[in-house]
Amino acid sequence: MNSIQRAADFVKTKPSQHGEEIHVPFTVRSRYLLVTTAALVMLCQMSAPAQVPPRFYWQSLSGGNAVPVIFQSLSGNANPVDPAHFVSPYISGSVDANVLVAGYAKMLPLFDRTLTLAVLEPMGRISGDAIVKGAAASQNTTGFGDPMIEVGYNLIGPKALKSIPDLLRYEPKFSLNVIVDVAFPIGEYDSSQPLNLGQNRWYGRVGAPIVWQLGPWVPGRRTTLEVLPSAWFFTDNNDYVSHNLSTDPMFQVESHLTRDFTEHFWGSADCTWLAGGKSSIDGASGKSLNNVGIGFTLGYQINDNISLTAGYMATVNDNSPTDLKMDGFRISFTYGWHKIIEGQKRLKSED
Amino acid sequence: MKTKIADRHHLIRAALLVTLIATTSASQAASAVTTTSGKRPNIIIILGDDLGFSDMGAFGGEIKTPRLDSLAKAGVRFTQFYTSASCSPTRSMLLSGVDTHLNGLGNMDEWAAPNQWGVDGYEGYLNNRVTTLPQVLKEAGYHTYMAGKWHMGKSPDKIPAARGFERDFSLLDGAGSYWDMWSFTAANPKSTFTEDGRYLKKLPKDYYATKTYTDKMISYIEEGRKDGKPFFAYVSHQAPHDPYHLPRDWRNRHVGEYDKGWDVVRKERLQRQIEMGLVPKDTQLAERMWFIPDATLLAPAAQAILGKKMELYAGMVENMDYHVGRLIDYLKKIGEYDNTIFIVFGDNGAEGADLFKMIAGTPGTRNFLFASMQWSQNHPNAWGDPHSYVGYGPMWAQVSMTPLSQYKGLMGEGGIRNGLIVSGPIVKRPAGSINRGLIHVADLMPTLLEVAGASYPKTINGQEPPPMIGKSWVKMLAGEEESPRSGQDYLAWEIFGNHAVRQGDWKLVWQYKPYGTEQWELFNLAEDLAERHNLAAEQPEKVKTLLALWDDYARANKVVLPSRVIWEGQAKQLPDRYPVVDGYPPLLYQKQFVPPANMLANPKP
Repeated sequence: MNSIQRAADFVKTKPSQHGEEIHVPFTVRSRYLLVTTAALVMLCQMSAPAQVPPRFYWQSLSGGNAVPVIFQSLSGNANPVDPAHFVSPYISGSVDANVLVAGYAKMLPLFDRTLTLAVLEPMGRISGDAIVKGAAASQNTTGFGDPMIEVGYNLIGPKALKSIPDLLRYEPKFSLNVIVDVAFPIGEYDSSQPLNLGQNRWYGRVGAPIVWQLGPWVPGRRTTLEVLPSAWFFTDNNDYVSHNLSTDPMFQVESHLTRDFTEHFWGSADCTWLAGGKSSIDGASGKSLNNVGIGFTLGYQINDNISLTAGYMATVNDNSPTDLKMDGFRISFTYGWHKIIEGQKRLKSED
Repeated sequence: MKTKIADRHHLIRAALLVTLIATTSASQAASAVTTTSGKRPNIIIILGDDLGFSDMGAFGGEIKTPRLDSLAKAGVRFTQFYTSASCSPTRSMLLSGVDTHLNGLGNMDEWAAPNQWGVDGYEGYLNNRVTTLPQVLKEAGYHTYMAGKWHMGKSPDKIPAARGFERDFSLLDGAGSYWDMWSFTAANPKSTFTEDGRYLKKLPKDYYATKTYTDKMISYIEEGRKDGKPFFAYVSHQAPHDPYHLPRDWRNRHVGEYDKGWDVVRKERLQRQIEMGLVPKDTQLAERMWFIPDATLLAPAAQAILGKKMELYAGMVENMDYHVGRLIDYLKKIGEYDNTIFIVFGDNGAEGADLFKMIAGTPGTRNFLFASMQWSQNHPNAWGDPHSYVGYGPMWAQVSMTPLSQYKGLMGEGGIRNGLIVSGPIVKRPAGSINRGLIHVADLMPTLLEVAGASYPKTINGQEPPPMIGKSWVKMLAGEEESPRSGQDYLAWEIFGNHAVRQGDWKLVWQYKPYGTEQWELFNLAEDLAERHNLAAEQPEKVKTLLALWDDYARANKVVLPSRVIWEGQAKQLPDRYPVVDGYPPLLYQKQFVPPANMLANPKP
């Protein structure tokens, strides 16, 4: 056995009885990389109700990639894919949406801190009762929504995870990021209808997501409190069923209390508060938002590459007809990869 | 009238008793080593479990041990101090002064071979044919306290309280959790503790072994000091024995510092040892064990994970140092520090074996099932927590034993030699000096008996006790001699079938394969501390001389070589053994060729 084989066996082989047991770093590394891909998975769950999923802003290994596919089934008295949550007078009843969001995300180091880049594209179907030309009518729309990009940058917390040892030692402790989201108004839009996948206006937000580690950072026992205060901004939609729709800035605070149940299975209690964001049609003001939504998320990491989450959220203070009323299920499937892990897998498959 | 006579007889008897005690004390005081205060000195033994030769800063370690180093600075360091290669045998010699093969720990209880079962000297506990250091010191007027690991018997007649300790808080097992009572096997799931001779049903609140042992020892000294008697305190720390259980704030003080790998750390330690004068300038490092790779060949993740084990170990040692500091501070506060002898050492070589895997490494066994329930919090981020188990492995054990060869359980110097610090009023050598006298853990019994003015009993339970094998250090500590041993004296060892004998600079070793050759090997330790060059073929007369000494030792101490040993099967489980040569093969170390910049060119069309 040559030195190369000995080195390889040192980290891979099972122990002998006395003195030669070495921890198997590949196993550990793999566990940590699960975290990597999990975080990237979450990155792409920018859902229609603008609810950022828990564990979204955990850092992961620079150079990692993820492609999420998120299915959402949403119902409410507003267009579920409109982040303004505008309870429009042109919507007369319940609106249902089945939306798939696909995307791509990547983490990169920038000045020794983590830069996150993501692009998301919603697509699907919306159906509901709308007021069209003064009369109630069923409306269906299908197609692609507005693509959105997000740029995130970590300000406080661990430096960029540029190597696997960095990743092994990652603990968020208290982390603060800044994010900027911008949606491009190029999605499907029919100005004669109030329900559309595209919003026909620019919108986006700035936010400061916080991850606060509570207790040890041990898979199976991790607990976090995550808070994302953000402000949404909207330009006018000057062709909203032949009217001008404007929306004031909207403030949102999302919070999640997350907890591992096992090394690969976790859950989160989720809460969102929306405030402001008063919309006006041709200058006639509607009602400012002051809504609370609560829900939960369950997450499971299937293997090094694939993770699943499922969740539900519903508004709670929605008794008045003009209150935002919305609920939705969400299931996500995400495939994440990193060239180091993929290379290791190729080599291991030769064993 | 009868009553009065009886009373008078009582009075006379009492007066005689008082006179006898006074006379005894006076004679003890007369023969004892007294300090400038006129009092006999207090004695504290700080025992680190599996603490390595080079771990303390005073012995070249990068681990931060300022409190232990302060004792070295005030006292003397010894570089040729020997123990057994394993735990309970060392402890048995420390507390009895008698060779392991006579005192009951001829083999560890856990590994006694079938041909040793029922044989005197192999009982697996400190037998009743020997007396103990605390027993004799107690009879000589000392308070005797113990806190920590015992590992020399569990039944009521074998526990610390039965073997001479007035006060004790003791883990009777050889190892266990630092946080709770969990032990390692399905058959023995709970560790056994005693306090003042009673078996504990539960542990105190806020229990953490190193802290609690220190708290208890301080409380015993505090409660006992009112009568002005000196004390003997045996602080037998569990640390740094695995599992590396450690409070969270002690775990991350060396993040990434050991990623550079074991060979680099060994070289750094050796360099410091040379600069400190602990070893000769031309000292070589022992050969890296053949199954351990050059750490520079490992991927960064492997370096980080394996390095993290050493980070934890360093934290264990530093935490122990901190608590030793608490004890020192307390003694200073009560004005007893200057009158206290400190004796600090590790009980054997550093631990290179994976105890956990040995016990619970086989799926399908009940111990594996037990470990799944109680010892499976083994994600690296959980290392240190309750229910986690991590040890640092043979590569770091070699670091702990820098520059020596091998580690715990083996007959290389790394198995049996340890760093020793002695400080206090009996030390008259220059503060901070280094001594190279050939000394042994069994020397502590005669040394401390002399210090206390006590003598070894002529009979124990009506029988003549086995002889002490040690020699007193009192003259050596006083600077009157360099070693308690002459060039003709020898030391010998046997454990797990491996055996060795040393006389002067020469050492003859026989070890099972694959760690040994199953042939006698001869080393000159003055010239070859790392035991790299077997001179047996070149020095047959020296082999013969040392063999005769070995035979003499084995006969005198009734050594029974075991019929079964822990090394069975090892040669097949480990890779074939070849010499380890740094930089071989060059293929692994050749770097990218960089051509001259002015000769670079693009391919021609």
